[in-house]
Amino acid sequence: MDKVMSNKWIIALYVLPSIILIMAVIYVPIVLTGYYGLMDWDGVSSMKFIGLDNYVALFKDHAFWESVGHSFLFALLSTLSLAVYLIVAMVLAGNIKGANLFRKIYLLPMLLSSVAIAQLWMKVYHPTSGILNTTLVSLGFSDPPAWLSDTKYVLGALFVPILWQYAGFYILIYYAALKNIPNTLVEAALIDGATHRQIAYRIKLPLITEVIKVTIVLSVVGSLKYFDLIYVMTGGGPNGASDVMASYMYQRAFKGFDFGYGSAIGFFLLIICLAATWIIRKLTATKDSIQYS
Amino acid sequence: MKRKAIAVWALMLALVMVVSACGDKKDSGSGGDKVTIKLMSQWPEGGAKQQYNLVNEIIASYEEENPNVKIDLEVLETNQYKDKLKVLSGSNSLPDVGFAWAAGFLEPYVKGNQFATLDDLLQGDLKDQFVAGTTEAYAVDGKTYSLPVELNIVPIYYNKEIFAKYNLQVPQTYDEFKNVIQTLRDNGVTPITLGGKDGWTGSFWYMYLVDRLGGADLLDKAIASNDFSDPNLIEAAKMAQELVDMNAFNKGFNGLSNDEAKSEFYNGKAAMYAMGTWEVPNLTTNEDIPQEFRDNAGYFRFPTISGGQGTSDTWVGGVGVGLFVSESSKVKEEAKKFVSYFVKKWGEKSVTEAGVIPATKVDTSKVKLPQMFIDLLNELSSAKKVTLYADVQMKPVASEEHHKLIQALLGKEVTPEQFAKQTDDTLKAGK
Amino acid sequence: MKVALETGVHRKVATSRTAARKIGSAVLYIVLIAIAILQLLPLVWLLFFSLKNSQEIFDLAPFALPRHPKWENYSDVWSSGNIDRYFINSVVVTLGSVVLTILLASFVTYAVTRMRWKLSSFVLGIFMLGMMIPVHSTLIPLYNLYEKLDFINKYHSLIVSYTAFNLPITIMIMLGFYAVLPKEVEEAAIMDGCSINRLFFQIILPMTMSVMMTAAIINMIYNWNEFIFVNTFISSDSLKTLTVGVQNFIGQYQANWGAIGATLMISILPIMVVFLLLSNRIVEGLAAGSVKG
Repeated sequence: MDKVMSNKWIIALYVLPSIILIMAVIYVPIVLTGYYGLMDWDGVSSMKFIGLDNYVALFKDHAFWESVGHSFLFALLSTLSLAVYLIVAMVLAGNIKGANLFRKIYLLPMLLSSVAIAQLWMKVYHPTSGILNTTLVSLGFSDPPAWLSDTKYVLGALFVPILWQYAGFYILIYYAALKNIPNTLVEAALIDGATHRQIAYRIKLPLITEVIKVTIVLSVVGSLKYFDLIYVMTGGGPNGASDVMASYMYQRAFKGFDFGYGSAIGFFLLIICLAATWIIRKLTATKDSIQYS
Repeated sequence: MKRKAIAVWALMLALVMVVSACGDKKDSGSGGDKVTIKLMSQWPEGGAKQQYNLVNEIIASYEEENPNVKIDLEVLETNQYKDKLKVLSGSNSLPDVGFAWAAGFLEPYVKGNQFATLDDLLQGDLKDQFVAGTTEAYAVDGKTYSLPVELNIVPIYYNKEIFAKYNLQVPQTYDEFKNVIQTLRDNGVTPITLGGKDGWTGSFWYMYLVDRLGGADLLDKAIASNDFSDPNLIEAAKMAQELVDMNAFNKGFNGLSNDEAKSEFYNGKAAMYAMGTWEVPNLTTNEDIPQEFRDNAGYFRFPTISGGQGTSDTWVGGVGVGLFVSESSKVKEEAKKFVSYFVKKWGEKSVTEAGVIPATKVDTSKVKLPQMFIDLLNELSSAKKVTLYADVQMKPVASEEHHKLIQALLGKEVTPEQFAKQTDDTLKAGK
Repeated sequence: MKVALETGVHRKVATSRTAARKIGSAVLYIVLIAIAILQLLPLVWLLFFSLKNSQEIFDLAPFALPRHPKWENYSDVWSSGNIDRYFINSVVVTLGSVVLTILLASFVTYAVTRMRWKLSSFVLGIFMLGMMIPVHSTLIPLYNLYEKLDFINKYHSLIVSYTAFNLPITIMIMLGFYAVLPKEVEEAAIMDGCSINRLFFQIILPMTMSVMMTAAIINMIYNWNEFIFVNTFISSDSLKTLTVGVQNFIGQYQANWGAIGATLMISILPIMVVFLLLSNRIVEGLAAGSVKG
């Protein structure tokens, strides 16, 4: 058995093509980007080596740290919302009538592109004619906030559609994981007189722990490098109130022609993501978790 | 069962080969003396149909007159276009000919030695073709790197019907203007619609206040000398916030894009809207806008401020895009010839066919145009000065910062003093 | 559908004895149906959006019917927008990269989770790290690379990029599933003298059908809606994809919103059909009976 499972040729055949691919397409470019971060470069004229100046400037850049704060707040919220998705997935994976139909409908918004979602939510938040404010006015609030232009509300207003955008993704993963649990286990438990709640806690949850851990990392990392809706809906504004790390980087590199600095941000973002993943792995590590080595 | 693994790899290989076979096969200049010029444009068919058509028309006629030349056109939406240009220049592969924006946008490309000088065209083929003062916006250290094909000024458009309903006259002075705003507000009409999310729209208002208060040269000088401390610059910022306090702008303007804000004007909810003359076709000939509305649309000059140094015949505006030739182009001479041809043809046709005012001189007596267009073309030719958009004048980082600061100013996130100070800081940073 | 659900509810209610259960079940269904309606609204909105002109889109309430439904938005888009060509490109690129990604990711995940070799966790780390890299910071180096390989303006550039950037997340989704695959199956197969390739293709792959479908759906949605790479690497109009078709309707100072709506609607239909088909397979993969705990 061990001999078969450690056949070097097979391992190489299975793994090498993918490694070569991501090395060439992801790693070589990102190393170059880290290197560009050491340059004073507008992306057009020739580069000038300035050592760590960009990184030093980054540490002093107030606007950047504000965007880091927003990214982390966002990562926290999206991780907390995983619990809700898990509950929804459990309900859908349970044997209720019409579950199949509900599941399909729930996942539909996932198919919309960011462009469409941004347009939709801009209509929802429109200060005078938006669905949200017209509803609030009819409920008796005479002066509802202008969501996307008010620095107090803009971040919260953006979180809602972003969380909504990814809800389908996580529900789908949880759903598939739950469906992957062999029915025999659940049936056996039922015969032993376990209640549905007990089955959920004692059997289903432990069996999908690995998947849950994966989704936590996914949601944290995904949030930290999130870009799309923020860029389309507010562009990070007003006055940086909704900037996150990626939108700030994009703005500096592509709009501000400061590619050296933008690269430094990009590289720093990578380091933050790494650190976050490492911490999550440490926090969620359990003794009986499956070791891959 | 190794065969199966091999079969899968073979399948994948086949897939890749099939896919690449579908790929676009470029003939690498095998056709004898045939010259291919690559042109990149930011006028997509869907978003700017008339410009797109005119570009293609010019290409077709050039190819017909020069059978050895083939023009390869690539079209992208504006933001994507700008990003791609950047990626291309980062890897030294700009198209032979493309469009660039003036001043701050152009500068890094020039410094990076990416654009060819076009002074030979200006001295030769295109001598005296351009409206005075337009090509300067594309000059760095006395050399010109792009030739403009667009020129605009920013009037304030207004809804005549709303003005008539409340017995309002077109304001000549700033005090009259404030009265207009107050009257409209008192009657529950949005006086001015503004898409503050796009910082450049708010910048128009600030620029006009600076111009009327401190004279037409104040802003240019402040940006050129990286010194934003003139008291009039702070005073103008105060007056901009005063407008906000009067509720002159639509609710939540800082969260709205220009497109969203504009619709408030077109649906008659807002009485005034400041925007470049590229908007004129919508106000005159665009069939999607109700005839009744178009008949009621007018424009006026930004009013003068009593005690201010500005006059009413100076405008905010300036050149839009211009054509550049890549320095590393292998067909530079052919490309320049095409640029020259393009500028001339464009000048003849762009107003009538695309509703775009070219930077070359237009004889209004010869072309048939809606009245508002003719009026504005005359305003343009009699203008004492057109102050180039502040964000275009500034270098890229400062320009982005300016958008943010304008948002912050109008959102009352910063005081006028902070606004001036922070602008000063970003200008001095020199990026 | 509602009727069917209600009878479902009644039947359930009739069999359950306690009143609390009755109410609980009713509340559950009300909540489920309410969410379902909310999730369907965006599609209705998009349909209406696509039938309005630019002015009406900003003017009318989002769910107001257009004054004169502009079906010509669709015909305009189809005739002027080159949409049929974009459509084929989208299909080729999406399918090509999804198949490649799923296959490569299955190989890697299998090698990493089930086979024994020293570097497996290191290799896994390399893949996971790839997930943290923001796309924007790789664009310029990547463009240089593709230019050297003569990939620019070919389908390759997209398929290779999509596959590389989606491999990490696909592997991550698969990890949790592979981790709980029962060891006994492998042991039994190897005792019977089954080769590792045969084990992988004939036993493991069918067992992971549900996760492959999950990953395929997610990959497909990502690739179908992606536009940064298309914009950067493709310049010839005949190779662009649908997402760029949407961009075509945005002008420098204004956009043709009705046409954008129609393009979004056209682009969502095929992926919706595929989604509805594939999401059934998530369940069927198990019904196929490969998993016998």
